[in-house]
Amino acid sequence: MPKLTIDGREVEVAQGTNLIEAARLAGIAIPYFCYHPYLSVVGQCRICLVEIEGQPRLAIACATPAVDGMVVRSQTSSRVREAREAVMEFLLANHPLDCPVCDQAGECLLQDHSMSEQGPQFSTRMVETRRTFPGLERRLLGPHVVQNQNRCIHCSRCIRFTQEISETSQLTYVSRGNRAYIDTFDGRPFDDPFSACAADVCPVGALTVREFRFRKRAWKLRSTPSICPGCSIGCNLWIDHHERTVYRFTPRENPDVNATWLCDYGRFLAESLNSHGATATLREEDGSTSSPPVEEATRALALELKAARTLRVVASANLSNEELFLAREIFASHLHGELVTPVWPGEPRRMKNARGEWLASSDAHPNANGARRLGLELVDEGGLARFLYGAADLTVLLDAFAHPYLASEEALQLLRVGHTLVFTQREHPTREFARWTLGVASLACNDGTFTSGTERVQRFQAAFAPPRGALPLGRWFALLARELGLARLAVAAPRDVFQLMVSQERAFSGLAWEELAGADTDSYREHQHVG
Amino acid sequence: MSTAPIHAAHPEELHEVRFDPTMESQIAELLTHYPVPRAALLPVLWLCQNRYGWIAPGVIEAVAARLGLAPAFVQGVVTFYTMFHTTPPARYVLQVCTTLSCSVCGAGELLAHLKERLGIGPGERTPDGTFQIVGVQCLGACGGAPVVQVNDDYYENLDPAKLDALLDELAAVKE
Amino acid sequence: MEPTLLKARGLEGSRTLSSYLSRGGYEGLRRALALGPQEVTKYVIDSELRGRGGAGFPTGRKWTFIPKDHPGPRYLVCNADESEPGTFKDREIIEHDPHLVIEGIAIASFAIGAHTAYIYIRGEFVRWAKVLETALAEARQEKILGPDVLGSGYPLEVWVHRGAGAYICGEETSLLESLEGKRGFPRLKPPFPAVVGAFGMPTIINNVETLACLPSILTRGPAWFASIGRPRNTGPKLFSVSGHVVRPGVVELPLGVTFREIIFEHCGGIRGGRALKAFFPGGSSAPVLTAAEVDTKADFDACAEAGTMLGSGGVIVLDETVDMVEVAANLAHFYAHESCGQCTPCREGSDWLVDILERILDGHGRPEDPDTILRICRFASQGMTICPLGDAFSLPISSIVNKFRDEFERRIAAATPAPQKKQPVLPWAGPRPGFGR
Repeated sequence: MPKLTIDGREVEVAQGTNLIEAARLAGIAIPYFCYHPYLSVVGQCRICLVEIEGQPRLAIACATPAVDGMVVRSQTSSRVREAREAVMEFLLANHPLDCPVCDQAGECLLQDHSMSEQGPQFSTRMVETRRTFPGLERRLLGPHVVQNQNRCIHCSRCIRFTQEISETSQLTYVSRGNRAYIDTFDGRPFDDPFSACAADVCPVGALTVREFRFRKRAWKLRSTPSICPGCSIGCNLWIDHHERTVYRFTPRENPDVNATWLCDYGRFLAESLNSHGATATLREEDGSTSSPPVEEATRALALELKAARTLRVVASANLSNEELFLAREIFASHLHGELVTPVWPGEPRRMKNARGEWLASSDAHPNANGARRLGLELVDEGGLARFLYGAADLTVLLDAFAHPYLASEEALQLLRVGHTLVFTQREHPTREFARWTLGVASLACNDGTFTSGTERVQRFQAAFAPPRGALPLGRWFALLARELGLARLAVAAPRDVFQLMVSQERAFSGLAWEELAGADTDSYREHQHVG
Repeated sequence: MSTAPIHAAHPEELHEVRFDPTMESQIAELLTHYPVPRAALLPVLWLCQNRYGWIAPGVIEAVAARLGLAPAFVQGVVTFYTMFHTTPPARYVLQVCTTLSCSVCGAGELLAHLKERLGIGPGERTPDGTFQIVGVQCLGACGGAPVVQVNDDYYENLDPAKLDALLDELAAVKE
Repeated sequence: MEPTLLKARGLEGSRTLSSYLSRGGYEGLRRALALGPQEVTKYVIDSELRGRGGAGFPTGRKWTFIPKDHPGPRYLVCNADESEPGTFKDREIIEHDPHLVIEGIAIASFAIGAHTAYIYIRGEFVRWAKVLETALAEARQEKILGPDVLGSGYPLEVWVHRGAGAYICGEETSLLESLEGKRGFPRLKPPFPAVVGAFGMPTIINNVETLACLPSILTRGPAWFASIGRPRNTGPKLFSVSGHVVRPGVVELPLGVTFREIIFEHCGGIRGGRALKAFFPGGSSAPVLTAAEVDTKADFDACAEAGTMLGSGGVIVLDETVDMVEVAANLAHFYAHESCGQCTPCREGSDWLVDILERILDGHGRPEDPDTILRICRFASQGMTICPLGDAFSLPISSIVNKFRDEFERRIAAATPAPQKKQPVLPWAGPRPGFGR
């Protein structure tokens, strides 16, 4: 384990650690553009120059491994400061400096480093007209990525991403020198399934995400750690939100799962978090509807549940462990209902972790494995159809979107028989006939845990409080439990439900709520992985 | 013997490229020179340029498929090097060296003369597709400055009169 | 001096194997095969041969950097990229004596234990690639190359690999990338090619002229070679002389002659009876020397002492009619065109220099321009870049500003303010007619 000194701070690091990471461990930020912890080291941008005692020339920190006894100077070296100032001047020589109209502003490494690496007295000597790339200033490179080549600083991160991570090699430099630009082969669409990551790794505004552009200034956003609801892999992500609106997902570092990547499918589920179910709606036999307040609705619901002679419940692999646990306790154990969890295979998804291993999804739900661990019965489409075919007084759908089959003509016909009670986050065809439609808040308002396909119990956090009338499903369950006289289960906080599970479920014993959050500081972008 | 003209294949012919058996066997031979197929990229591209006159997108796709590479990667390589034509070239590409030794020995006069005689400058071609001028950097023949490379051949110690004679000779060659 | 490297020049049919054999060809290789690799390396170390490609690194020592216990293949690469402006010596050797190069390749490959060698030749040299191919075919035919080199049991194959137009591919690691079928982006060092080179294997890259020195070192002995020139600067050297001399061309002279001798005795002096103004001693990447420095000795150490470098031995001679601002602009265009674009200071700096110098030429210079040029040069060199291309333009251009600052200032004094207009880097309209002459 080499021990070295950086700017007077001593730090011990693992063998093979480069100076950027060593400095990070010592609490010192060495600036970089082309370096990325999960991409190959190319040493192109030259901003990470440091002075190493005993070496006549400045060295690039990204390509220099820490050696025992090394004495490194970064901010404390006047030579380094001078050289970095010059590198910044070179980088900005042809940069359009259009920050006011650039959507990267606020999360741009070029902005950040021009503040940190150029002294207050610095003024550029560049007086020439800037180089431009006519026709490439605002080009849709693919379905999700917009290119402005004028802003490109030639760091090659996006190219390396498609070569090394997504393995499509769709991006390349065309031409060379200062005339080189980023392009796809023969101008074909950049339809890499991870295409938006290329915009993530772009340290400047050369590649931006079409869906997010100009919707919100980056500095307005707050980030809340969460888990991707798109499949069983369980990629860690940030919900970036402002004033109770979700604007985007950005990857949250987890070396074991998604390194710092997200697939486009998962990433663009972000918008779906903005729909929350409306207030409880009761539909009478004559078709008239009313919206009783929550307390009144739960009281009526409890009565109907108790009155049902046969009760069947469709749970969902999209629910958190806590919600599934409460559902099992309330509907199966207490009310003696029959409960199944449908699982839909969905499109195959995959993700590469920090070790370069591909993880594959087993199904299209974030928590099928949690349902399995809680001993719930998992069924496929055929099983779900058979389940709905059996007659029952009352059918409860805990999540209208548990399986696409629930929206099929066949399922709707089966559900029209008897009373149906539907919890839903969005508009669903069952609304036409369901006796009760109960508004559920989206993942953005929910706390809880998912168990990934690789047995990883991961916690997501609520970004903001739900809008009026919509409750997180766990909250509905707590209210129902109270009405049903189940004091033990009438706990509102998912954290307390989790404690119950820890004490009661073998699959959760020994786990601690606090330790399941993963990377939960806002440091992700400060650490410049996304840029 | 005078310089052979380039016969550039029509873009339509290069939409989908299939290598004929001769090319295939040449490629197979080239692959034996290297431990990895990718290393044969430049030689195979040369083979294609000699055959088709230029490197069309369809050629890039065929080469990429043959060597197991991504087309974008091959495109990146093709455009890094200045000698691969990515558009159909004229029959004679006049590559006028403009680096120091040639410049101080009269490359500027040669370009001016070409402009006067052919009406075109660097980066342009004559409307009949006979000549195309490219201002190139050092050709490594500075002792014979000024130098013009026409297609594959070097012409050294040129002056406007010698250049005229050369152009006359080249223009006289029939397809 | 009796020529060693150019002794075939002027002989009828000198390119053929029979001509080469009649001149004692491949005797050096025979001797090498008899001596064994270690002894061959010792010969080369003792000869004090230094690389002729530009850096002047001791050739024998470079060979010893290959890890002793490396299990896999190793490669030898003959660098025939010859693209340093003002250099055309390798072409001369290949043109007249391709087998001399092939013999040198075989000797070096044997010394380092390589069984495959590549000749990386610049793409424009179509004719000379063919000359080499023909010679290689002859050598294979006569079992000089192939599975059993000269009956020794040592196998060696040599392939010609053509570049496609990129100055940067003369740089060792960029050449390797190009050999591997990639864009010619220089690699980060360390690791050096002798440890991790072509296809991840130890690789030695030697210049054509360096390799061409080997046969005579083997046949005539290292002491003979070291007796030419002076210690640490030994052997014959080819000088490519171009520009305003009466007889431009390649001359072979012992290291240590003065540039005055090269220019005035061997190349007939300055054209048209004009006066010498300045010259580049070792290709355009070497800092310029003025007429007053013409007595500098043409060897590695003397040039270094004079603040420049022998480089490839490409002497570009400029007479009194030449405008040094034009020269700087011309070079800036070259390097901006040839910068691979990988690292910031070189990519941006070379382009920026073009803008400034063209603006000065357009009559819109500013008083601060010379200092800005010097600043760009300072921060695009000295380890600020991945490869030496940053130094390659920074050193000569800053030397021009330093030595001929008055020419810049004269133009700037007469300047008018510039209209805002970007000079495109490409395509360049070429030098102004009448520049130099």
